[in-house]
Amino acid sequence: MSAAPAAGSDEFGWYLYGVVAAGAALDDLAAVPAVDREYPVELVVEGSLSGVTSRVSTAEFDEAALPGRLGDAAWLEQKIRAHEQVLENVLSSATVLPCRFCTVYHDQADLRRFLAECESALVAALDRISDRVELGVKAFVDSERFASSAGTRSEKIRELSERVSQAEGGRAYLETRQIERLVADELARFRQEAAPQLHERLLNAADEGVLLAPQRPEVSGREEEMLLNGAYLVPDRTRFEHALADLARERRGEGIELELTGPWPPYNFVPEELGS
Amino acid sequence: MSSQDLQGYRSGQPAQLADVLERVLDKGIVIAGDIKINLLDIELLTVKIRLLIASADKAREMGIDWWQNDPFLSGRNGHDRLEKRLQALEEKAGLPTSKDES
Repeated sequence: MSAAPAAGSDEFGWYLYGVVAAGAALDDLAAVPAVDREYPVELVVEGSLSGVTSRVSTAEFDEAALPGRLGDAAWLEQKIRAHEQVLENVLSSATVLPCRFCTVYHDQADLRRFLAECESALVAALDRISDRVELGVKAFVDSERFASSAGTRSEKIRELSERVSQAEGGRAYLETRQIERLVADELARFRQEAAPQLHERLLNAADEGVLLAPQRPEVSGREEEMLLNGAYLVPDRTRFEHALADLARERRGEGIELELTGPWPPYNFVPEELGS
Repeated sequence: MSSQDLQGYRSGQPAQLADVLERVLDKGIVIAGDIKINLLDIELLTVKIRLLIASADKAREMGIDWWQNDPFLSGRNGHDRLEKRLQALEEKAGLPTSKDES
């Protein structure tokens, strides 16, 4: 599939996807292909922790090969999705601390040393996310629906709309323009206010939450403007989904649409750096 | 499962690549030291993806479409060139940059 000099090289490193508690009862780890399909996903147990890992060919993953590989969009997407799917498989049966893409060790001893040296920090980080998942919520605003409902919310717009319907010629034109301006102002204010309001409501059903940068349409794949791109650490998924459904019903009239993603490994709720 | 009318919201399955990228590349535990991979490569990707996700105008100004069409990502760049281009990107984007160089 790729132009990689596949077999032949018996050199390999250890790719670390994430860390789980040593006692975690995991479903079939090998059910999902690893980033390097030649090798299975396995656990390396060290003390009270297990690393979710697989061997990777150094022909693909060492310092010399990687920069070029990262420039290959097809390679990158395949590996990133594999990384994510291995973790999602683990997530279905255990709490998992996700590592960033391309965390690779020269040999298993280095991996074990990391798990041993950082044990207390890793255990603390696992504790924070224990039995929790990350859910993503995106909010979009349909600006046409917003505009058509603006008259029901703003006294001034309602009045003007009534007058326009009776006015004629130049006067009607001017007043129509004025309504457009008012609607645009309303939308601008709405954009500012909606995200924090939605975020606060969702936080009520979550332990923690973070706001990510809203994605532009080319990235989100949706024409509507994204107002909110939030991630939430959720202990009770059903409760969170109910809160989301309530919110969606309440705010639909304003043109807000909500989208749920996940469950994700709690990428947004792990420490970036581990103080060992 | 897209019972949007029942639940009132959409469920985004399967995951969009952008959602995976902004997590897998930008979040998760970073382990310093003892790794063979130069993290600079990942850092570069991350900055780019942040720019692409957050700033349409800047990305377009820089002639970046989306990462697939991006000459910056199309390989065979040496590290020096990558670093210079990173600084240029950071400056254009108004991000703090490590060095002054043009």
